[in-house]
Amino acid sequence: MSREPFIQVNDLHHNYLRDTPLEVTALRGVSMEIHKGESVGIIGRTGAGKSTVVQHFNGLIRPREPGKVIVDGQDLSDPQVDVRRIRQKIGLVFQYPEQQLFERLVGDDIAFGPKKLGMEQADRRERVKWAMEMVGLDFEEFKDRFTFSLSGGEMRKAALAGVLALQPEMLILDESTSGVDPRSRKELLGRLLALHKEHGLTLAFVSPNMEDMAGLVDRIYVMDKGRVVMSGTTREVFSQPERLREHGLGVPQVTEVAHELIGRGVPVERIPVTVEEGEEEIWKILNS
Amino acid sequence: MEDFEFLRNITIGQYLPGDSIIHRLDPRTKISVFLFITIAVTFSVSYTGNIILVLVTLSLVLLSGVSMRYVFSGIKPAIPIIIILATLQLLLYGEGFVPYGMQSKTYFHWGIIHITNGSVQLVIVSAMRFVELLFLTSLLTNTTTLANITHGMENMLRPFSRIGVPSHELSLVATIALRFVPLLAEQLEIIMKAQASRGADIAHKGKLQFVTTARQVAVLIVPLFIDAFRRAEDLILAMQARCYVGGRGRSSLVQLRFARMDYVAYALSLVFSAVMLVFRNSFPF
Repeated sequence: MSREPFIQVNDLHHNYLRDTPLEVTALRGVSMEIHKGESVGIIGRTGAGKSTVVQHFNGLIRPREPGKVIVDGQDLSDPQVDVRRIRQKIGLVFQYPEQQLFERLVGDDIAFGPKKLGMEQADRRERVKWAMEMVGLDFEEFKDRFTFSLSGGEMRKAALAGVLALQPEMLILDESTSGVDPRSRKELLGRLLALHKEHGLTLAFVSPNMEDMAGLVDRIYVMDKGRVVMSGTTREVFSQPERLREHGLGVPQVTEVAHELIGRGVPVERIPVTVEEGEEEIWKILNS
Repeated sequence: MEDFEFLRNITIGQYLPGDSIIHRLDPRTKISVFLFITIAVTFSVSYTGNIILVLVTLSLVLLSGVSMRYVFSGIKPAIPIIIILATLQLLLYGEGFVPYGMQSKTYFHWGIIHITNGSVQLVIVSAMRFVELLFLTSLLTNTTTLANITHGMENMLRPFSRIGVPSHELSLVATIALRFVPLLAEQLEIIMKAQASRGADIAHKGKLQFVTTARQVAVLIVPLFIDAFRRAEDLILAMQARCYVGGRGRSSLVQLRFARMDYVAYALSLVFSAVMLVFRNSFPF
């Protein structure tokens, strides 16, 4: 892990519909740091400002005074910055996949990014094939399908493939795996985690659901009402269920069970965040 | 630097909550006042008439409490087209156009280009009319919820249903059309963001910017329409699921009622517009 953060966000404020009577505040001073090779979770209930923050990461929304967003050493408030290069480094998959497929055919849609990068036809084909395999869409079967004829889950996969095809250094998933059936979701996340571990892909998951995060991320930022209200390692955050509840969030069921056990006087050594850890803990308790 | 938030630029048709006299008027009154003054604007060709109309509509907007900045920010995207149109009018319309209330005078003539005091008047009067209509539209749509406008329209069209005018359906169509404007803006924002995220060059700067912008817009139109159709289908489904059958026998939650203010507004705007119409040719210039 390098010392200089990959993404550094400082005192970020953002208002939607600025300068109109309908102005709404989305961010009220958010600061975050994400290092290269990390896997970070951003959680919070709806309206907390999660999506607004991540759209700053790749320059879709530019920081306004006094906020600062520095990505890979480049200050995004500088209008001269080459945002296209930033966007190639930082892949963002949005919340609603059906709204981000814009080509007619699935193959063309996934090839959009590589084409914009100026890749040759043959390389492009390879890249699209690779991206589709990553998300679990069969290349031959899906490349000539109409994007709008896909099912919700397939659309999500196609949208993700379209971003993966850029081979970004960091991938942000804004609730992009909800609606994918549990088995493909597990496979998909497994492949992403493999990329994360083997190739150092930086990951950021955005979700209102704690269950999604367990076992995926090293660190968590909890947001509420436009602020970061809690941050720390996954275990640190999950060990404070009361505070999470205050912000309208829960902890994974297995963590809930562990807290319940502690409440009834059962000694739990280490608060589990995944089912596997929970199993381990319970065996320990039963054997002691 | 690019800005994807198109919703900020859509001010017409956006209801702004408030409690001014204008806000409290019955929607039918507002629609009628809107129609009366619009007619007066349409027929007014003189400087004097338009100065009066600008002042009247301006004071009405001030009365509604909607900020001037908000009203004008809606026309920002249209400014280039307005300038082009005004220039064409100024250069090409002079020949044979008789200005109101003065002798024709040619300032400049070369080939097909005629600049006369007539074309100058035309440009200035058109600009004033534009502002007047902008004020009027803002007056109606910024102070009245869409539901109320529809309700008012339906109510006003009801007498015509005897001769086969589908008043309920017409007002429903109008509502849905207006409702889709912000939705399309939002959708455009999402598609452009999605394309930008995958390396599309949205904020292209350079000599051929105009061409690339046009090409980008073409790329955006297809997904925008596909989405609009999808939304329309969802809407049909949602309406059917709630047993929507159309206007016949349908009661409404809000009963419209005229207050004293409504009669006053009706009478004043009717008299004003009538005077403007009758005396439209009697102004000195």
